[in-house]
Amino acid sequence: MGKRTMAVLAGLAMGPALLMGHAGAVWAEYPPEGDFVRGARLWAENCGRCHNIRDPRELRDDQWITTVYHMRVRGGLTGQDVRDIYTFLKQSN
Amino acid sequence: MAEKRRRLKEAAAAVALGAALGAAPVQGADTARVAEAIRAELEALKSRIRELEKQLAEQRRVEQEVKDLRREVRSAAEWKSPNTLIHMAGYADVGYTDTRSRTGTFGSGTFNPILHYQYRDVVMLESELAMSVDELGETTTELEYLTIDWFANDYVTVVAGKFLSPLGWFRQNLHPSWINKLPSAPAGFGHDQAAPNAEVGVQVRGGVPVSGNGNRLIYAFYVGNGPAAEIESGEIEMIETPGLGGDADGKKVFGGRLGLYFPGRRLELGLSGAAGRVGEIEEVGKSRKYTGVTRDYDFLGADFTWRPRQFEVRGEWVRQKVGDQPASSAPEGGTWQAWYLQGSYRFMPHKWEVVARLGRYRTPHSEVEQKALGLNYIFASNFVAKLAYEFNDDRGAESSGYEDRLLLQASYGF
Repeated sequence: MGKRTMAVLAGLAMGPALLMGHAGAVWAEYPPEGDFVRGARLWAENCGRCHNIRDPRELRDDQWITTVYHMRVRGGLTGQDVRDIYTFLKQSN
Repeated sequence: MAEKRRRLKEAAAAVALGAALGAAPVQGADTARVAEAIRAELEALKSRIRELEKQLAEQRRVEQEVKDLRREVRSAAEWKSPNTLIHMAGYADVGYTDTRSRTGTFGSGTFNPILHYQYRDVVMLESELAMSVDELGETTTELEYLTIDWFANDYVTVVAGKFLSPLGWFRQNLHPSWINKLPSAPAGFGHDQAAPNAEVGVQVRGGVPVSGNGNRLIYAFYVGNGPAAEIESGEIEMIETPGLGGDADGKKVFGGRLGLYFPGRRLELGLSGAAGRVGEIEEVGKSRKYTGVTRDYDFLGADFTWRPRQFEVRGEWVRQKVGDQPASSAPEGGTWQAWYLQGSYRFMPHKWEVVARLGRYRTPHSEVEQKALGLNYIFASNFVAKLAYEFNDDRGAESSGYEDRLLLQASYGF
């Protein structure tokens, strides 16, 4: 493996943490409470980008956690977007 | 509790005293009456002791029940907020296909379970298997993707392993049958066609707000082993992009997608690109091996989605190219290119939806123009029945393998 490739790999893997700090510190509760109203708006705006919008009552709270984090990766959501959407979902199911 | 024990001790002392008195020699009628009274008192005390013992046993039973209930409540709370979560998602479909040259066939479609294993908001393992049954009854299982996703911060996720190619939009987000509005992928967007399927490597991806009104930049950049050109009879048959678990040529491919999402306009635009060098895989008899030769490789793509009211319009163009290589048994390179434009309308509040798609797929060997019309019934957001007809018109020198066909499909996402 060339030095250039190794440098890119190292940058991809470690750069984000070094540059921006790791936000995944251990909180007492996770995900931390978000904004219900903003979450409702983001849910309506984002879920339909690819598929039919899912009803909050379709899943339990713990199932919504993994689902919104999966969608964070798929849909390019920010961490705050995910916390807000989850807050809306758990209070609406 | 302590009070009851004290009363028990007093009662026992009284019993002992009574017994002693009862045993003492007595004289006369008065003495007999006193003895009788003491005996009665003794019996009453004995009865009281039995009653207290019963109460004590009942109290112990209740205390144990409370302990058990507390344990149960703690156990139930564990389900609500554990540090590690496991979740199964996925989708499955069944269907029926009728082409002009063959008899109609029922198909079991695919079963794609997806496993999520997440530790708090730090890391998540994601894996999808694709299982299907072929015409001869053989079951095939493939690893669609397997990644460890590290949520580095609010704007960056580092994804490592085998992942769906972040190039373009259909392959990474729209191909699951419960999401795709037609029972088939657009021509050129299937496996090993113009749109890359998967990659093995590492990528960083995420979203960053670019204005106060919710507009967002969506990005994904990766480095991976890259695809391989499949050589057959002195030609490049196809570009294989299943996510190769090895990199015999030692050359990596770099690429990514940049998108802009405008929620107010319900519009999303994306541009994708990749470049590098790729190896060749040649079939020799029944075995396949790397030839040791490498070629230039590049990819370009553009996609958009616009969703005004109940309408949805999507389009995507992809082009994948491998360069010439005089040292190869297939010296000539080639380009695989495809596009589609799809429109759909849902009759709210009813559950019917109509879809139309137009597209074209061109390879160095063939070219096909595809039109498709479909009618869907949405039983639930994740359970859809689809009826579609595909018109496939060969435009190239060789057959594309596509035929006009009727497609029926029921798909369920879970």
